[in-house]
Amino acid sequence: MARAGGGAGVLTVAGLGVSYGGLRALVDLTLEVGEGEFVTLVGPNGAGKTTLLKAISGTAAATGTIVYRGRDLGALRASERAALGIAHVPEGRRVFPSLTVFENLELGSYRRAARRGRAQALQEVLELFPILRQRRSQLAGSLSGGEQQMLALGRGLMAQPDVLLLDEPSQGLGPRIVEQIFETIDRIRRERRLTILLVEQRVVEALELCDRGYVLETGRVVLAGARDALLADPRVQRAYLGA
Amino acid sequence: MPSRARGWIAIIVVVAVGLAASFVVQERYHHRVLTLVFLWASMGLAWNIISGYAGQISFGHQAFFGIGAYVTVLLVVKLGLTPWLGMIAAVAAAVLAAVLIGLPTFRLAGIYFGLATLAYPLILRIVMDWLGYQEVAIPMKREHLGWFMQFSEPRSFDLVALGVLAGSLALSYRIETSRLGYWLRAIRENEQAAEAMGADSFRCKMAAYMLSAVPAAVAGAVYIHAILFIVTPEAVFGLLVISQTLVVCLVGGTGTMWGPVIGAAVMVPVSEILDTTVGDSLPGIQGVVYGAALILIILFAPEGLYWGVLQRFRARRSRGAEGVRAAPIVVAQPPAHPGAATGDVLLDVRGISKAFLGLQALSDVSFDVKEREILGVIGPNGAGKTTLFNVLNGFLVPDHGEVRFRGQTVTGLLPSALCRRGVGRTFQVVRTFPHLTVLENVMVGAFAREAAVDRARARAASALQDVSLADRAEALPGGLTTLELRLMELARCLATSPRLVLLDEPLAGLSADGVDAMITMIRRVRATGMTVVIIEHTMQALLKLADRLVVLDQGRRLAEGPPGRVTQDRAVIEAYLGKRWLARAGAPAC
Repeated sequence: MARAGGGAGVLTVAGLGVSYGGLRALVDLTLEVGEGEFVTLVGPNGAGKTTLLKAISGTAAATGTIVYRGRDLGALRASERAALGIAHVPEGRRVFPSLTVFENLELGSYRRAARRGRAQALQEVLELFPILRQRRSQLAGSLSGGEQQMLALGRGLMAQPDVLLLDEPSQGLGPRIVEQIFETIDRIRRERRLTILLVEQRVVEALELCDRGYVLETGRVVLAGARDALLADPRVQRAYLGA
Repeated sequence: MPSRARGWIAIIVVVAVGLAASFVVQERYHHRVLTLVFLWASMGLAWNIISGYAGQISFGHQAFFGIGAYVTVLLVVKLGLTPWLGMIAAVAAAVLAAVLIGLPTFRLAGIYFGLATLAYPLILRIVMDWLGYQEVAIPMKREHLGWFMQFSEPRSFDLVALGVLAGSLALSYRIETSRLGYWLRAIRENEQAAEAMGADSFRCKMAAYMLSAVPAAVAGAVYIHAILFIVTPEAVFGLLVISQTLVVCLVGGTGTMWGPVIGAAVMVPVSEILDTTVGDSLPGIQGVVYGAALILIILFAPEGLYWGVLQRFRARRSRGAEGVRAAPIVVAQPPAHPGAATGDVLLDVRGISKAFLGLQALSDVSFDVKEREILGVIGPNGAGKTTLFNVLNGFLVPDHGEVRFRGQTVTGLLPSALCRRGVGRTFQVVRTFPHLTVLENVMVGAFAREAAVDRARARAASALQDVSLADRAEALPGGLTTLELRLMELARCLATSPRLVLLDEPLAGLSADGVDAMITMIRRVRATGMTVVIIEHTMQALLKLADRLVVLDQGRRLAEGPPGRVTQDRAVIEAYLGKRWLARAGAPAC
């Protein structure tokens, strides 16, 4: 895929608002992600992090504008956004339980642009999560919680996306595998110059990996900055790093 | 949820309106329409008990309607028995049929249950043909018209049908406001979670099915006397009966007793008026217009008129009240003396094995849990931790081995039975009953101990208070944050008054302050005398919490002991904790 010049905004979010019933989950939120950039979102439960990813991928209704590579996503449905190359790996292991592990992965690569590289992507995903190779013909619903999490992540990677939205990839995974997953995310982005938007509760690891980060609270951005600035910020240290 | 008296008053108002209508209406034909409204509303209410409340969609409910019609008429023909008494026999027959149908059919779930129910009225049609009852006319009893439900005055049929409706409403309301009603809705929303909270889903569904056969049989019996006068298999077991039932329920709304009433009040007159107006000039067109009306309603109120109107009303009321989530959750600290483990064995797990299609999920796992202990279960993903919990709370029966709880063997007991014995649990991905409020979610747990709704509500409210979630009692789970959801699930579990609490990754998805709140909460649970077994990957938190750790790897017990020792174990580091842990373990965190 031909890409615009380095540093250009891949994703520009402006004045974004989302309400559930009477509750406002996001309020006038503005955020920018550049080409090949790795951006981490942190914040307490209920801050609106998951909602933000949902609004970008089109699985939550939002007001305001979301522009992806110069194109307003407002009118596009979730499936159309996915076809453009925005892959959303939602939290809570949303795999297709009555399909096999292999079928789940294959479904990830139905995007037109992803079909050619499917075999290679599959190899990469299986190298990354060898347990999925062992389980390939098992139904996804019979996997353990952590294995389903790996499958959801693997399915997202199968789309060979341009922008990867990751919602708590480490949730429910053991320490060793979490370490591996963070290493993998880091490697993937170096190799592919993938643009990543990551939501994580493991604040230290997630901030250490990123280029820039945003701190969300009650639906608003309360702090934004480059990695080192954020890690050194006394407010972040106090609230999230237990310092 | 409206208070008890308000529901009864609403029923009285509906019946009074029906009564007034029957005295205003003069023409014979209009009486007939009114009778039909009452009868189809009753039939809809019958269907709503099993398919609306319990969510078990039945496409064969006309089986009971037909049984009601045939049994009463045959008793008149063969024995000269009055239909007033015949109806009692008809109800008994229908309830018996419900048991016979339910026993095999409730083994099926979802759409398979619905498809299987299609068979039963079909079978009954064939049986009636075979027995020679293709057409059974009600014999005239000129000298005892009333005694044989053969009124010359059409208003009398209105009143009988209105009586059926009043009874069906009363039955529905009793169910809605009882423990059974809450259990049925919980089973509809999440059967496994309901079972884990003490609801025996098979028994609940069967009770609902038997109850739902009652109004159907009575409606069938009255329908035949008021409208048809001749019973044929096609007329009472045919598809038109179930499609009329489904129409009134879908138009009005399911899962509430007002749905079928509204549906019948709208759709029956519409169809009759169409028949007599446009149907007269352009025969056949009434079906097209009826279909169009149906499509319009489904487009504008896809969940039915009742829910559609309610939603609009609620949206208007909550507008302006829009606001951002208030204060963060602060969990009170546990008492100063957290009761430590006593040394008595509460749970004894002996040689448990479980395989799924060649995958050995658990092999020969043994350990015990002491009273008032906090035991952590750790291990790599896919090690069998959740499978172990599923064995402990009865979702799975192990292939080998034994589980003893408070000295008694509990292997093979149903989850609901284990819950009542004192085993509570939460789930890795929170399992809510999404259409029940937070308070009602917790009430489902409380019903394991309290049969009375008021006492269950009080118990649930106090459980919510305990987890600092009282201010969210009236919210729906969909609007809750991850921490609130985890706390709600914990409250639901605590409301069952467990002795042993199984927590499956209670910290997953929580931010740092959420983790702290939950840790405090778990300590408080132990301090009130409960025993906790916890699966968790957040090692720092577990080191603070657990008295002892059991490590599983590939279905086997890899290690067991105090956290300090287990986390230094080479094999555990290798299989689970990873190299970085080893690097950090130089400066132990515990």
